[in-house]
Amino acid sequence: MSNPKHKLCDESYFNNFYLEHIQAVNNFAFYKCGDKAASLDYVQDAFAKIWENCSKIDFEKAKTYLFTTVNNLFLNAIRHQKVVLSYAKESPYIDKTNQSPEYLLEEDEFKKKLLSAISDLSEEQREVFLLNRMEDKKYREIADLLNISQKTVEKRMSAALKILRNKVDNLKV
Amino acid sequence: MNKENDILKWFNGEISLEEIKKRYPQEDFSSLEKLGFYSKQIDIPKIDAQKALEDFKTRTFKKDETKVISLNFKSFLKIAAIFVVMLTSSYFLFFNNTKSYSTEIAQTETLSLPDNSEVILNAQSKLTFNKKEWKQSRNLNLKGEAFFKVTKGEKFTVKTDVGNIQVLGTQFNVKERANYFEVKCYEGSVRVTHNNKTTILTTGKAFRVVDGEIIETKDFYAKNPSWLAKESNFDNVPLWQVINELEIQYDITIKASNVNVNKMFSGSFTHTNKNMALQSVTIPLKLSYKINSKKVEFYNYEKN
Repeated sequence: MSNPKHKLCDESYFNNFYLEHIQAVNNFAFYKCGDKAASLDYVQDAFAKIWENCSKIDFEKAKTYLFTTVNNLFLNAIRHQKVVLSYAKESPYIDKTNQSPEYLLEEDEFKKKLLSAISDLSEEQREVFLLNRMEDKKYREIADLLNISQKTVEKRMSAALKILRNKVDNLKV
Repeated sequence: MNKENDILKWFNGEISLEEIKKRYPQEDFSSLEKLGFYSKQIDIPKIDAQKALEDFKTRTFKKDETKVISLNFKSFLKIAAIFVVMLTSSYFLFFNNTKSYSTEIAQTETLSLPDNSEVILNAQSKLTFNKKEWKQSRNLNLKGEAFFKVTKGEKFTVKTDVGNIQVLGTQFNVKERANYFEVKCYEGSVRVTHNNKTTILTTGKAFRVVDGEIIETKDFYAKNPSWLAKESNFDNVPLWQVINELEIQYDITIKASNVNVNKMFSGSFTHTNKNMALQSVTIPLKLSYKINSKKVEFYNYEKN
């Protein structure tokens, strides 16, 4: 194991790698497919691939490899599950001071539309949008993670915002 | 375009909401602001990392590093084997320069060598030589009996198990049979090497080894070996050697257990008439014979 390339084949090293990234990569898979069970399956398959090919993977690139593999597994899946998103319990409203039932109802309506709008985004737009929103990732970081250019990330983000804005505005009327 | 870029910057945390409101006072950013805010509250499945790892460990993996190596090794062996087979077969197909001629019982063959030297092979004899090296060294291997007419040139060597014969250009006969070795020079001179001893034969001289012993021979005057004229000629040769020759020329087996085969025989027999040949051998030695298809028995008729 003196070869740093084969560090991944060391079980304790691999376990640390697994624990370190499981949540992030699962989030990523979830943004893509919007299915809790399926996303964990993709992630576990991707980790299995890394373990099986540990000697061939540069440990410095293992993280990128992990995300790329999830991406590919997702693309290879024959049937895409329907995206099912929901809000976390006890999520606050934007105006915490306003507790009038009318306002709350309006906001709930807005949230519902938003959720379905996000579900309807293309999986590429959704992953960029949610990585930015949910994890406060900069476009640069997202680009590195997905192994694409920052320009592409910005394009997808811009498109996602446009679609979402149009949908929530239209529904509001 | 600029506005879009600024919105992107806003979502990327590069500029604040106040800033963008200042830049585009006409624009209503409230829905974007809400959209940005609420989209952060989507429920993400929480992963119990330790439990997920335990689940992961129950999977079966197919780590096949060694398998890959052995596979490569096998295919390498396959290719190597193909190469070996191709190279050897092509060698034998295209570069096999060893020429070989042989004769069966009661058969003679005339052949010319690459330098126009002529060789006549007597019955049951074999001649081999290397065509490629012929220009450098005229080397031949001989088993049996052959008559050589050698054109002048490089050293011409005939190798037999018993001894080597070297000439420059001449005519000579070599006879190498079981326990019998004879070289006769018909023209020019011949150098015979036997047991590291060298003998030079001039025209009309012969060199004979019987049972490993060199036998003195008389000079002869024939221009060609008698077997070329379908006759075998013997001069003071033991009977067993004559019997061997009869067997080779007529494809018969001769039983001579009741006869002294070490008796010396001088004379000849023809290759064309079996009865005449048998008679010309047996009568001078006061023997008789019985023919039973391919088997012939010699016996002393005086006793019967």
